[in-house]
Amino acid sequence: MSRRARLLVLAFGGCGLALLFALAAFRLPDFGGTSHPYGQRTLPNAIAHHTPNVISSINFDQRAFDTLGEELILMASALAAVLILRTVRAEQEDAAGKHAYGPAQVFDALRITGYALLPVTIMTGVYIVAHGYLSPGGGFQGGVVLGSAIHLVYLSGDYPALARIRPIPMFEAGEALAAGAFVALALAFAGQVTAMNAVVGLEVGSAVVLTLAKFFEQALLVRKDT
Amino acid sequence: MILQIAVGLPFAVATLLAATGRRLPRIAIDAIATATVATLSVLLGLVLAGGDRTVWLGGWGEGVGISLVADAVATGLALTVTAVALCALVVSWRYFNEVQAIFHTLVLLFTGAMCAFVLTGDLFDAFVFFELMSVVAYALTGYQSEEPDTVHGALNFGVVNSLGAYLTLTGIALVYARTGQLGFVSIGRHLHGHDALVTVSFALICTGFLVKAAAVPFHFWLADAHAVAPTPVCMLFSGVMVELGVYAVARTYLTSFADAIPAEPVRVSLIAFGSAAALLGGVMCVLQRHIKRLLAYSTISHVGLLLVGVGLLHEDALAGAAWYLIGHAGVKAGLFVGAGALLNRFETVDEHDLHGRGRSMYVAGLIFLLGGLGLAGLPPSGTWAGKALIEEAGGHSILALGVTASALTAGAVLRVWLRVFRGAGPPHPGTTQHHDAETEFKLSRLPWTMLAPGVLLVLAGLLLGLLPGVVIGRAVEPFTHLPGPAPAPWTATSIASGVVAVLLAFGVAALGIRGRIPRVDLLHRLHSGHIGDYVAWLVAGVTVFGLLLLA
Repeated sequence: MSRRARLLVLAFGGCGLALLFALAAFRLPDFGGTSHPYGQRTLPNAIAHHTPNVISSINFDQRAFDTLGEELILMASALAAVLILRTVRAEQEDAAGKHAYGPAQVFDALRITGYALLPVTIMTGVYIVAHGYLSPGGGFQGGVVLGSAIHLVYLSGDYPALARIRPIPMFEAGEALAAGAFVALALAFAGQVTAMNAVVGLEVGSAVVLTLAKFFEQALLVRKDT
Repeated sequence: MILQIAVGLPFAVATLLAATGRRLPRIAIDAIATATVATLSVLLGLVLAGGDRTVWLGGWGEGVGISLVADAVATGLALTVTAVALCALVVSWRYFNEVQAIFHTLVLLFTGAMCAFVLTGDLFDAFVFFELMSVVAYALTGYQSEEPDTVHGALNFGVVNSLGAYLTLTGIALVYARTGQLGFVSIGRHLHGHDALVTVSFALICTGFLVKAAAVPFHFWLADAHAVAPTPVCMLFSGVMVELGVYAVARTYLTSFADAIPAEPVRVSLIAFGSAAALLGGVMCVLQRHIKRLLAYSTISHVGLLLVGVGLLHEDALAGAAWYLIGHAGVKAGLFVGAGALLNRFETVDEHDLHGRGRSMYVAGLIFLLGGLGLAGLPPSGTWAGKALIEEAGGHSILALGVTASALTAGAVLRVWLRVFRGAGPPHPGTTQHHDAETEFKLSRLPWTMLAPGVLLVLAGLLLGLLPGVVIGRAVEPFTHLPGPAPAPWTATSIASGVVAVLLAFGVAALGIRGRIPRVDLLHRLHSGHIGDYVAWLVAGVTVFGLLLLA
């Protein structure tokens, strides 16, 4: 299709979609209304189970099956990254010989800050995972913090050190086993909020590390070529 | 409990395979994956035999919890999914280099996601598993990521389907804002009368499903993805995944929106989208030389007919659609096995390249011949019985549509059979484009595991019309909430229409053999592979759908 024709079709569709959306939006309940049907149903249910945190009760108990699906989406995405971003033979040959990731030129201040923040960030991550039971936070958020924490080592300029502290097979196994534990918890013992938070934290953290690792490999290889 | 176990089993084994995949030998990975899907099909068979049931997960009940609803249609569909998945896994026993155990993990996740998607009784939960299904499907499409074409096809698939899914999620948010409910049944109970919000919400929810079902003009991704996806993956895509889109539209309308949105505009728009897909898919199918692309367009055409069957909103037509779905799943998945066999032997699926080269491949030839007859709707195939019911409920115009679509798609497949396996017609120069043989190294001969599932699937498709109609009728009754139909496909008209379609298909094949495959520039330009075009058509399609419903 020519550029012009494409734009015409897109303009027709875009205007129509905007019109449909506007028509629907004007019929939405008013902002700040008093009718909250879902809240009115879920609160008494959560409180009846003596849960200290209603959000966790929804995430890990009332609608645990949704969370299971989301967990598996994350796992599938990490596996997809491993699969699709695997270095194929041609790329390995291109990279042969000049494949050295030495310590980069980084300011000492940045290096020290990175190393100093590492334990603090990991601590924060664990805290957020553990406290999801009582307060805002939980496995998803804490897992992302944990997964990013490890990459402070890379920011401090040391790719080999990063590669040493994140053995890929271990993170793959950790991620998959955590997802497996969640399947069992969600279908057989829904409501174990603390345990579920912990396995979600493990899964999310591992998935973040795994995905970033694959992107790093690709980015560094490509950069060598140029 | 059996239902929970059935839903959880493929996921649990998938995670174990992913965790241990680096250590396990290949034979163990194959055995574990195949045994899991076989067990799953037994469990689902037990559920089906045990009658309809609803289970509230975690014991939460209506209002806050999520239910699994195992009515006969949903369980039967899940069983079809596992049957095709089982065959796909057997085909992949000798399948090429596995990266750890990721292929098998993904196939298990895919199977589990499709089963959870059909069995859930909750609209939002259905969306979650719809997404899981999609993510896994993108990864499987891009499996041979070293080829630029593969990345292109997978990317188009990912972008178009994700866009559709966003619209579905927006639609779910709108209907939730109105009702405060997420269960299919609860939504239906709380929707009274229709206004712009309800109508737009329905249109948006269905858009994502129609993208998956490849209704015109949402269909562009399908051929690109099928052309590059590995053979066992194509079996799952064309055999069951695409059809789940139609199932979701039917479930959403009949269970949730039937009381709110009047039937007439829904009927008009679904029949319009479905007929367009049936005709365009049929024409595009005849115009292809790339055999996997040809089969992909035939899927678009047949799923279009399926959508017409649902769109008629008539209990007999719905029974017909269910019947058609299982028949088509067998025939189409089987045909992809045949295409995979050609690809493995000759490293090409170009029809001209392959001229006469399949003469010694009796079994693959048989798959194409029987598959062609199955697509045409030779009695007593499942496609024939289903189509007969849809045509009877739809009247003359639908009858003509059904015969045309079957004749075109079956004609193209029979043409491939004549040219490749019988060496008919004059030779033409082929392409120089070569594909991966899909096995780790060149096998000296094709193993039985890469052919037998195809024969079984095609035969199943060809004989499914022998199921007693009353079984199908009883199955769809709780699904449609309409009085139980008593479908009887064995009428003189339907047998005649089946035979006419087969004769016309041979006519199309004979015409195709005599000449070169023509190039229709307009249609080729339309199916450009440019993602911008696909997105433009998608939003235009949503607009047309919304306006048709509002009018």
